[in-house]
Amino acid sequence: MHRILWLFVSAVGAAAWGVIALRRGETINAAWLVLAAVGTYLVGYRFYSRFLARKVLGVDPSRATPAERINNGRDFVPTTRYVLFGHHFAAIAGAGPLVGPVLAMQFGWLPGTLWLVFGVVLGGAVQDFVILFGSMRRDGKSLGQMAKEEIGPLTGGLAMVAILAIMIILLAVLALVVVNALKDSPWGVFSILCTIPIALGMGFWMKVIRPGKTIEATVAGIVLLLAALVGGRYVAESPSLAPLFTHGGVTIAWGMMAYGFLASVLPVWMLLCPRDYLSTFMKIGTIVLLALGILWVRPDLQMPALTRFIDGTGPVFAGKLFPFAFITIACGAISGFHALVASGTTPKMIRRENDARLIGYGGMLTESFVAIMALCAAAALDPGIYFAINAPLGALGGTVENAVLRIREWGFVVTPEQLTGLAAMVGESSLLGRVGGAPSLAVGMAAIFSGVFGQHLMGLWYHFAIMFEALFILTTIDTGTRVGRFMLQELLGHVWSPLGRTSWYPSSLFAAFLIVAGWGWFLIQGVTDPLGGINSLWPLFGITNQLLAAVALCVGTTLIIKSGKVRYAWTTLVPLVGLLVVTLTAGWQKIFAADPRLGFLSHAREIAARIAAGSQDAGVGARLIFNDRMNAVLAAFFMATVVALVVASALEWLAVTRGRKPATTREALYVESAYAK
Amino acid sequence: MRNSGRLGTFLSLLKRVCGMPDYHGYLAHMREKHGDCAVLSEREYFEQHMQVRYGSGVSRCC
Repeated sequence: MHRILWLFVSAVGAAAWGVIALRRGETINAAWLVLAAVGTYLVGYRFYSRFLARKVLGVDPSRATPAERINNGRDFVPTTRYVLFGHHFAAIAGAGPLVGPVLAMQFGWLPGTLWLVFGVVLGGAVQDFVILFGSMRRDGKSLGQMAKEEIGPLTGGLAMVAILAIMIILLAVLALVVVNALKDSPWGVFSILCTIPIALGMGFWMKVIRPGKTIEATVAGIVLLLAALVGGRYVAESPSLAPLFTHGGVTIAWGMMAYGFLASVLPVWMLLCPRDYLSTFMKIGTIVLLALGILWVRPDLQMPALTRFIDGTGPVFAGKLFPFAFITIACGAISGFHALVASGTTPKMIRRENDARLIGYGGMLTESFVAIMALCAAAALDPGIYFAINAPLGALGGTVENAVLRIREWGFVVTPEQLTGLAAMVGESSLLGRVGGAPSLAVGMAAIFSGVFGQHLMGLWYHFAIMFEALFILTTIDTGTRVGRFMLQELLGHVWSPLGRTSWYPSSLFAAFLIVAGWGWFLIQGVTDPLGGINSLWPLFGITNQLLAAVALCVGTTLIIKSGKVRYAWTTLVPLVGLLVVTLTAGWQKIFAADPRLGFLSHAREIAARIAAGSQDAGVGARLIFNDRMNAVLAAFFMATVVALVVASALEWLAVTRGRKPATTREALYVESAYAK
Repeated sequence: MRNSGRLGTFLSLLKRVCGMPDYHGYLAHMREKHGDCAVLSEREYFEQHMQVRYGSGVSRCC
């Protein structure tokens, strides 16, 4: 019976891929993409993850997990697997899987779909599962600690520095996405600003008025949030209120930095915790809504399967299909950041060892599914509109008329009325050059929801989608700044021990300031970049995230080899090699490519030439050159760090396989599980 | 509000999925495993939960 079922699932998935392969040149329905993806996920889960669990990792259901052994009712709590699955998913899924596929749409929908589906089954989900399992066997140790213990202290130190650096780039690029969505948008700014008093009120309620009543506070918070969303329309339409909430990118960027700093040093109950609850509720609700919407509307994909921009001339970001499709889409296919979550709270809550498969591997498959839905929503947009929103203003020529001409040169048809009409429908003055992915995804989501509920609510849905993305990006910013602060304090503690005390206020303020200054510097650089910033920062973020994945896969390979399973080491080695090829190529091109749109150094040279010719303001030019050089140094630093990590790991692997070192790992001792009896 | 029956189960599930403190779950755990220990009040439990969850920074992904 089971065999027949799986035969059927495989057949449906294969048939959907067949339809996708044969219908080239015609428009295709999003339902085929969803079917093909889900079919592949199910087959991957059923067969590949079982192989990983049984043969490679040696999952042992009779072995007690740390949650069972330590069970302290606080962080170590045995948790039912479906609950923990939801918990883990809410922690790993954020803005990344929504934004990356939208940006990569400049190549067409096919490359993103293939990379998301096969990348996750063979790479991303494997990474998450292996790290989650490794951490679970070591009482919930972090990625950095595992790197230190299993590979060596130098490697552990390098991994920590790399993690801190990627945090800073990540926060900057996510903040940039929000700034681009909110600039000159009084509706958006008003509704996002309202989230701060709402969160403060919720925090006060849960802490002081009715301690611990989290559900009632959160439900009230969501109601107020929706009220703020509706109220935003009146603010935007009011001639006296609208100017108060209409701000340029630089002002919003400074506001976000001030917010990030305050949120990371204030007590958690004031902002962080209530915002975390709000954004988790909204995240789960909206993702379910989006899935239902796509299944209900089943839109046709307007975007071609492949565009002419696979040659690297695209306006959204520079670079060819290889390697940049694999860099632009990180989260959803493989995301190094997950290794931090998979070695954080989740491993301490697993009830039975065999649950790790559903939570680690299955959780990542679900994130990939979210990315596929974002991809469908973006591909359902008219390509002309997609490029009008996602190409930087500089490339579009500034005005609607120029943009229409420019987009026609790129081979897509759009009329000025379409662009102004759409902007009016969603309640914005203009959608041109709103780079960063969030606005075009919001338009796509609004179109899908309007297909279910009627066109007159389009503006509300657009701002709902913007608020939903901004809400959890801001949550990432305050949690991320706080985590960064703790990491920095730990590092600084080695220099002067009082700086390492997280309870000492001056040290906390100092470290928080440094972290905010770090991401704020990149944020301002992105906001003032004439090409929109996403152009240079998103690839840098993709490269760092994938390099972190390479670190995680190095640790994973080490764990597998040291547990005496060299013959199965290919399961992590193959994705590791793939990632290294992609990221090192992309990093090299970002630094050294001769095309000034792509290479940091050649861009700096071009600016220098323009200053010499008198066509570029010297002060601004000098700053642009400094930014380029800084980005180049940073990319080189990441690449060097990862190469060093890989070499150190490879030496360790050789030492074990040659028999110079015993194949033993530092797992916690075996205790029989009471659940197994 | 007494959380009992199906609504209580649902709320408890929701809380645990969203990483919220589940006081009723905690009370049940204490009754079952450490019947002789004193239990925390709801306020104490909430504060302890926040300390554990956010004290050393919670990782939220991109």
